[in-house]
Amino acid sequence: MLQPAVQFADVSASRGGRPVLRHVSLVVPAGATVALVGRSGSGKTTLLRLVNRLLDPDEGDVLVAGTSTRAWDAIELRRRTGYVIQDAGLFPHLTVADNIATVPRLLGWAGDRVEARVDELLTLVGLEPAVFRGRWPDQLSGGQRQRAGLARALAADPPLLLMDEPFGALDPITKNELHAEFQRVQRRLQRAVILVTHDMAEACLLADQIAVLDAGEVIACDTPANIRGLADPRVRALLGLA
Amino acid sequence: MNLIAFIASHRAEMATRLGEHVVLVAVSTLIAAAIGIPLGIVAAHRPALSRPIVGLANLAQTIPSLALFGFLIPLPVIGGIGTRTALVALTVYAVLPILRSTITGLQGVPPAVVECAVAMGLTPRQVLSQVEWPLALPSVVSGLRVAVVIGVGTATIASAIGAGGLGDYIFRGLAMVDATVILAGALPAALLALAADAALGAAGQLADPRRRSRRHVVVLAVVAVLAIATAWSGRAAAGRADLVVGSKNFTEQVVLGELLAQAIERGAGLTVERRLNLGGTSIAHEALLSDGIDVYVEYTGTALTAIFKQPPSADSEGVFTTVQERYAGLGLSLLPKLGFNNTFAILVRGDDARRLGLTKVSDLAASRAWRAGFGYEFLERPDGFKGLGAAYGLSLAAAPRVMDLNLIYRAVAAGEIDVTAGDATSGLIEALGLTVLEDDRHYFPVYDAAPVFRTAAMLQHPAAAEAVRRLAGRVSATDMRRMNFAVDGEKRDPAGVARAFLDRIGYAQPR
Repeated sequence: MLQPAVQFADVSASRGGRPVLRHVSLVVPAGATVALVGRSGSGKTTLLRLVNRLLDPDEGDVLVAGTSTRAWDAIELRRRTGYVIQDAGLFPHLTVADNIATVPRLLGWAGDRVEARVDELLTLVGLEPAVFRGRWPDQLSGGQRQRAGLARALAADPPLLLMDEPFGALDPITKNELHAEFQRVQRRLQRAVILVTHDMAEACLLADQIAVLDAGEVIACDTPANIRGLADPRVRALLGLA
Repeated sequence: MNLIAFIASHRAEMATRLGEHVVLVAVSTLIAAAIGIPLGIVAAHRPALSRPIVGLANLAQTIPSLALFGFLIPLPVIGGIGTRTALVALTVYAVLPILRSTITGLQGVPPAVVECAVAMGLTPRQVLSQVEWPLALPSVVSGLRVAVVIGVGTATIASAIGAGGLGDYIFRGLAMVDATVILAGALPAALLALAADAALGAAGQLADPRRRSRRHVVVLAVVAVLAIATAWSGRAAAGRADLVVGSKNFTEQVVLGELLAQAIERGAGLTVERRLNLGGTSIAHEALLSDGIDVYVEYTGTALTAIFKQPPSADSEGVFTTVQERYAGLGLSLLPKLGFNNTFAILVRGDDARRLGLTKVSDLAASRAWRAGFGYEFLERPDGFKGLGAAYGLSLAAAPRVMDLNLIYRAVAAGEIDVTAGDATSGLIEALGLTVLEDDRHYFPVYDAAPVFRTAAMLQHPAAAEAVRRLAGRVSATDMRRMNFAVDGEKRDPAGVARAFLDRIGYAQPR
């Protein structure tokens, strides 16, 4: 069996002295998309931040590629982990091309290799390179910004992608387009993806597995089909079935 | 003399003063940036440190500039008089706007953008240099603009401690009560402020990422460096003179400063640098002690009371001997008296004097309540205002107004005040139609004018000391009043007036 991309082993964590996660155990298999769903404050984003060492756990271990994050060099770990947030978080003082080229340049890639990679990624996420390479982030629509953010996260070909409500700020039509785009990209690249969302329909559409968080605990983790069949009232409430 | 004629006849000197001004502002702003930007970065990232740092910078900003110079002059290394001290003071003032704008700029960077940068694996240094700094730069540039515009204005005061700059004309103009000369300093300073602001505005455009290109930044940096280097070399070209002559900041002192300088040039054939317009007795004295100047003319009574804190006295020879001994203990030599006694003179308008029959100070007591105004120094000195009221039983309408020494004559003439204390030798007494009241109770002690020389400099240049000694007893009170009037009343150049006087008394090179 393949080594899991990420494994949470009995992890507890707190933020600002307040416990947020309690004894969470969870496996993210290589090449799979795992959605973390739950209400605001259930600990989804905290769980995500443990993976690229924006936060260290109080107890337990987070294993990335079989190594505890405490043993990883934080900078090295982050450069091989793509990160996408709501509204993309693009650098406003850099063009789309320079935004995407950030991590490859930090890794010391040659100039023409970086340029080729930028064009390849723009094409991959459905942005015409000739048009969008020189654009500034504030000249993009919300959907275009999110596509550029995805391209930036994929730039150095990371084996792992973290996405924190990446489609949360989009109108329904754009969101549908990007869902399709994500599925197309993921079918091609087969990366391990952890997707934080509060939208159960999105989770069911995009994820191979759904982990349901409630008050800092994982109360269910299964395929979308099985999750829908659960009797737990907290899960049914999230699904809008209660 | 109109402004254009004045500028035309002082072209070379004005270029030097402008150069000094540019160097003062540019160098102090650069140092302030080197201090303020790193401090701002630290403060922006550690909010706990931010309050004390900004508080300290705020406090420094509130110190009045002349008071700051006063604190700095006695200090070693950064003190003394001249460019260095002025740079320290100007830097202190420039730090706050740069510090503030750096903090504001960094705190304005969206947290999501910083979080993304961290999550993408930028090191803390890279987050700062590649994300936070470029986004904060427009704000930093706006802080630099504020610092430069404030600096151009504040640098005019640097003249008071002998740092030169366009303030020389402003202080000279105030001393001569000549608006043209004031404008010759104020107008270029205003234009310089506008030009610097516009230039930095253009630099701010380059800081905008949309327009930034490395080539533009390089061109701008080269232009800035060239401008500063040109101004600096203009200063340096003046070179180091053999001796430095100082003076305080009123007409008589400037004329006496010229008189000493030209006597040394003529009589000893040495080169002389002039630091005229120093901002008061204590600054001139500290300048001597800190080697900022080598010689200036002091008044024995002033030295006795203001410098050596002794009670005033009317005994001319006794005061001279006491002061000479005290100076000797500080490594300074008091040379023989020039010949006139510049005591205080109580002044009223000529009209009032004729109408009320005023001739003596004691006549004031019999009349009505007077509105008085005095210079800062007169109010503070033991032989000044403090004893005057008691000696003559004066009744004042209100507490005396504190006014600049250079403005009090005008204030009396214009009827803003009725009585003041001026210099007995002031040329403005005639020029403005004022009347001197006789000191019939001999309240005011003697103020014999005499040159004070740094003994070390005197030993190094004995010919200079000899050239100054030859002026002993040659300058009468009438001579002094005429020279002051030539400058204040006839708007003639102090250097020309001193030259004419030396010609008239037949001062020539020794045979």
